[in-house]
Amino acid sequence: MKKLVAVCLLIFAVSCTKTYTRPSEEEVKPPKEIQEEVMKVEEEAPEEIAYARDEQIGERDLSPAEVAEVAKMVFSDIHFDYDKYNIRPDARPMLDQVASFMSENGDYNIVIEGHCDERGTNEYNLALGERRAKSTKNYLVSLGVSSPRISTVTFGEEKPLCTDTSETCWQSNRRAHFVVTGRR
Amino acid sequence: MKKKGSEVRGQGSGVAYATFIAYCIPYVLSILFLFSLVTTSHARIYIDISSPGARKLPVTIITTGPMQSKEIEWIVKSDLDATGVFEMVDPDIPGAEIIVTLDVDMSVGLKVVLSVRDLIENREVLKKRLDASTVIIRPMAHSIADDIYKVATGKDGVFRTKISYLKELASGKKELQYMDWDGFNSKKIISRGLTTSHNWGQDGRYLFYSSERKRQWKIYVLDLDNFTESLLFSSKGLNIVGGTSPDGLISFSSSKDGSSEIYTVNKYGKNLKKLTRAFGIDVSPVFSPDGKTIAFVSDRGGTPQIYVMTSQGKNMRRVTYEGSYNTSPAWSPDGEGIAYTGRSNGKFQIFVVQSDGTDLRQLTFSGNNESPSFSPDGTFLVFDSDRDGKRGIYVMRSNGEAQKKITSNRVKAMTPEWSPYLKK
Repeated sequence: MKKLVAVCLLIFAVSCTKTYTRPSEEEVKPPKEIQEEVMKVEEEAPEEIAYARDEQIGERDLSPAEVAEVAKMVFSDIHFDYDKYNIRPDARPMLDQVASFMSENGDYNIVIEGHCDERGTNEYNLALGERRAKSTKNYLVSLGVSSPRISTVTFGEEKPLCTDTSETCWQSNRRAHFVVTGRR
Repeated sequence: MKKKGSEVRGQGSGVAYATFIAYCIPYVLSILFLFSLVTTSHARIYIDISSPGARKLPVTIITTGPMQSKEIEWIVKSDLDATGVFEMVDPDIPGAEIIVTLDVDMSVGLKVVLSVRDLIENREVLKKRLDASTVIIRPMAHSIADDIYKVATGKDGVFRTKISYLKELASGKKELQYMDWDGFNSKKIISRGLTTSHNWGQDGRYLFYSSERKRQWKIYVLDLDNFTESLLFSSKGLNIVGGTSPDGLISFSSSKDGSSEIYTVNKYGKNLKKLTRAFGIDVSPVFSPDGKTIAFVSDRGGTPQIYVMTSQGKNMRRVTYEGSYNTSPAWSPDGEGIAYTGRSNGKFQIFVVQSDGTDLRQLTFSGNNESPSFSPDGTFLVFDSDRDGKRGIYVMRSNGEAQKKITSNRVKAMTPEWSPYLKK
């Protein structure tokens, strides 16, 4: 047993006393020397995180004239059933409008945002929102819009239009939203 | 009659909160404790927490020192009481088997002499001097609770671990934060972009998370040693981090090839492996504690359900069959159980099931409860709930007992992840 203690102390000394020696489950005689250890106790998150750099892909900012032009063309959201991502018949007129805008305005691209209601898990809802955006894109492509001009993004349940606990609110949140951007 | 710990705790809470505010403001970047280990003599485990229905260990805690020392005592009692392993006995009443004395000196910095005495064998089993140059009550108290827990159970306590979570700001934007296991000491970490899923690396040094920035969902990693963020993985489509393995792999879902599938990469974001190929949605992959199995969510059967497969994507098997919506799996640290969120009667609840699909148990019953995560010793589960009208973070024992909100009612908070044991 004395040997064990001696070996322990030796290891302790060699490893610059970094680890805190917990009492072992077997009986150990009290060490003759006092073991000291510096322990880091609390870390404060700094005011500024060194964030990774991000680049915008495939889009440019609109000029003021274009912003005014786009503002005239507001597309309503289209809506989806709970836990579904198929295009409902009531969404078709709006998708026809978007498709004809795109064919008449070659300088613009479009982003489709997929959204969900608050019910369910964030991760699953992100995937569901992506499916809604993609099925919307597929529908527009089937109407003749060129695929590279349409990008998609999901926001899952992260950007709700309303936060009531009611079917009316949930329905308005289960949507695809259209954002016109500049074409590179 | 023995006085229950919860009553003792109740009396001290007002003072405790006030002193907490007073002493946490002047925090510096990092504060060092100097520990002097005077005696380590320990013969037996007092409580075998692995045996079901074990008795509670009666403990008396006596604190001497200035008024603020009562706060240390309150935190220690609160930590120990939460485990359900101890019974707090008033000092005036006989019956304790262990007596803990805390001699607190706050004349210069904060010095505590901790002594744990076995009253049955009448000998001291732990004596330790804790010395901090600054008054930092909470970490010191949690450290003392860890020491007492270790003496009594032979196991490491989780009172110095952290919980990361999302805090919703008034703007609706969510910010990644972490806090102590009892809900105190919240720190803002990541506020850029829209952050959702997050998880800890197994050594506690790295936090992995998914953020949407400039309409791109990428996976980032934050080094908590120097608070520097790096990009771990990016591609076209949606990239959502799941979990981490003991050998440093990160599991995630990506729709890089169209539909959302399960992948793994190493800690450098390299050696990409695709594990699933199905038309449906596959998300939320988490490694079992030994790293050999992955649990994940798939709607390949028509509704989202929990599945398991090997970490190579083989031997896929469905785990959940009850209900039509089962998501956000979390492995218990012993690798046997999986906690998850399931919809029952139109509400979301926390369930635990064995990874072979047997022994299903519902742990929550009030409001909507989501996003379970185990403490690294398996004693507790953290989750979010809207049961009181405002979504917040709750902790319970992993059998569902002692459910308690740990975030303030002024804060909307969700999606907690319990850290592993942290380097000290």
